[in-house]
Amino acid sequence: MADIFERLLHLDRRWIFLFVLLSVVAPILVPIGLPVDMTAPTRLAFDFIESLKEGDVVLISFDYGPSSAPENDPMVEAIMRHCALKKLRFVVCVLYPLGGLGLANNVVAKITREFPDLRYGVDYVNLGFKDGASAVMRRMGDDIAGAFPTDVNGKPLSQIPIMKDVHDLRQVKLVFTAATGIIGEWWITQVHPQVGTPVIIGPTAVGAPKYYAFLNSGQIVGMLGGMKGAAEFEKLLRDRYPRMETFYKTTRAFTATKGNDAQTVLHAVILLFLLLGNIAFFRHRRASARA
Amino acid sequence: MNLEFGRVTLVILFALIPIVGIFLGMRAPALRSRIPIFIGLFAGLIPILSMYIPKRFLSGETGMSPRLDQWLIILAGFALLLGIVNVLQNSMRKISRRESGWPFSIVLLLGLFVTGGFGIYGALSGHGIGIAADGTPTPFQYMTNWFFQPLQSTIFSLLAFFMASAAFRAFRARNTEATILLIAAGLIMMGRVPVLELLALPIPALHPAAASASQGLGKLTEWIMKTPNGAAQSGIIIGAALGAASMAIRVILGIERGYLGLGKGE
Repeated sequence: MADIFERLLHLDRRWIFLFVLLSVVAPILVPIGLPVDMTAPTRLAFDFIESLKEGDVVLISFDYGPSSAPENDPMVEAIMRHCALKKLRFVVCVLYPLGGLGLANNVVAKITREFPDLRYGVDYVNLGFKDGASAVMRRMGDDIAGAFPTDVNGKPLSQIPIMKDVHDLRQVKLVFTAATGIIGEWWITQVHPQVGTPVIIGPTAVGAPKYYAFLNSGQIVGMLGGMKGAAEFEKLLRDRYPRMETFYKTTRAFTATKGNDAQTVLHAVILLFLLLGNIAFFRHRRASARA
Repeated sequence: MNLEFGRVTLVILFALIPIVGIFLGMRAPALRSRIPIFIGLFAGLIPILSMYIPKRFLSGETGMSPRLDQWLIILAGFALLLGIVNVLQNSMRKISRRESGWPFSIVLLLGLFVTGGFGIYGALSGHGIGIAADGTPTPFQYMTNWFFQPLQSTIFSLLAFFMASAAFRAFRARNTEATILLIAAGLIMMGRVPVLELLALPIPALHPAAASASQGLGKLTEWIMKTPNGAAQSGIIIGAALGAASMAIRVILGIERGYLGLGKGE
């Protein structure tokens, strides 16, 4: 027995890599269907969007890149589905330079395939990417066309029907930022205090702890913390809209609910490694002290 | 010609004075640091003043502060250009000197030219760089979907393997602080996802107890995140904001000069 723990201390890390790989891949290939418990920040976000009126405009900012797409993509997809179901209009913009635009194009294309009734320029618009994140946000606070003179296809904003009602961020009822870094925080610290537009943030799980401070102070109206937050939002959508129950059950695409299974198994594996590593460490220390 | 007060002042402060400064700096080296500090002073003061002085020339839609933001967006575009020039210089040098890893520089330059070329083609041809109306990706979007995204995702996903390995090897309860950290991390990891329900899966009789315990653990986790974590994060954010404000004041007043990139004695 002692020998096992001694060997554990010197375990080849490739075994750990193998366990991690299996614990992520297996639940995605064969979903377990584990339950998703609800947390207050996600509930607040959902309730806020539910309180918006038909035709209200939501700004969805893609402030992340492919590195965190498995966490952030399901969030923006769920938010866009919610907008489509609630008949809210949405404006998409990208402030993250490393691949944010490609992700936005894909997500918008995916959602418009799911909701063929959505009309470009009337129900939604894609403004594309602009560099200089915080300056762009502040400019949008005064004049959106000042920051984005055209949409992603080069069409002037003055020719896009949805933008006739939206001159600046004051006409936007909610900003949702799916963020991997500091850009999401700038929506909270630079746009919300100056313009007053409510903000919901969708950070990665690693970044989520920071935003509890903003949630406590009322500077954000909700948060989708990492893949868990996205899974919770998907659950709320399923409970509220029966159409979504069928969709999330049948879709072959990756969703946060499926990711939640993989995340749970991986957490269990890491916890097991932590436990074994510490037992081996204490046994070794005790044996060294005796010697 | 539009001769608004704010517009004219901005042109004087950020176009004429820098140009004059460059010529004066050539003749009198002492001026090389003073003119940029002078420009930095006004670039820092204008946005602050616009918050407190609700005058059209400062904070109006075409006032000085929004106009500075507009210029900042243009400057950010030029910063990207500088980045490209830097990549070109470094990679070309590496290739010409056959430094270690030089073949990777060729791949980097190929990626830069092919992706950039597709972007320019999209802009010039009018096809854009997104997804065409019939749902097919443009060449630029194709590069993004099938090269850039998988590569960046792969690099980032390696983190999961290294984190698990590091947790096993280094996350030990060596002292009181490490033990508290370990317990908090364990609780959060268990509370954020239904680990207990996963463990109880093979034994149906345990399902209700596991669900109930998981909910309790979830509430504890949420309390940890909201209360101790929220309080600590507030302190960190306020501390960082005060630090940033003091640094900004130092830059505005010309005390902090590191950003000027001057040599010793200048």
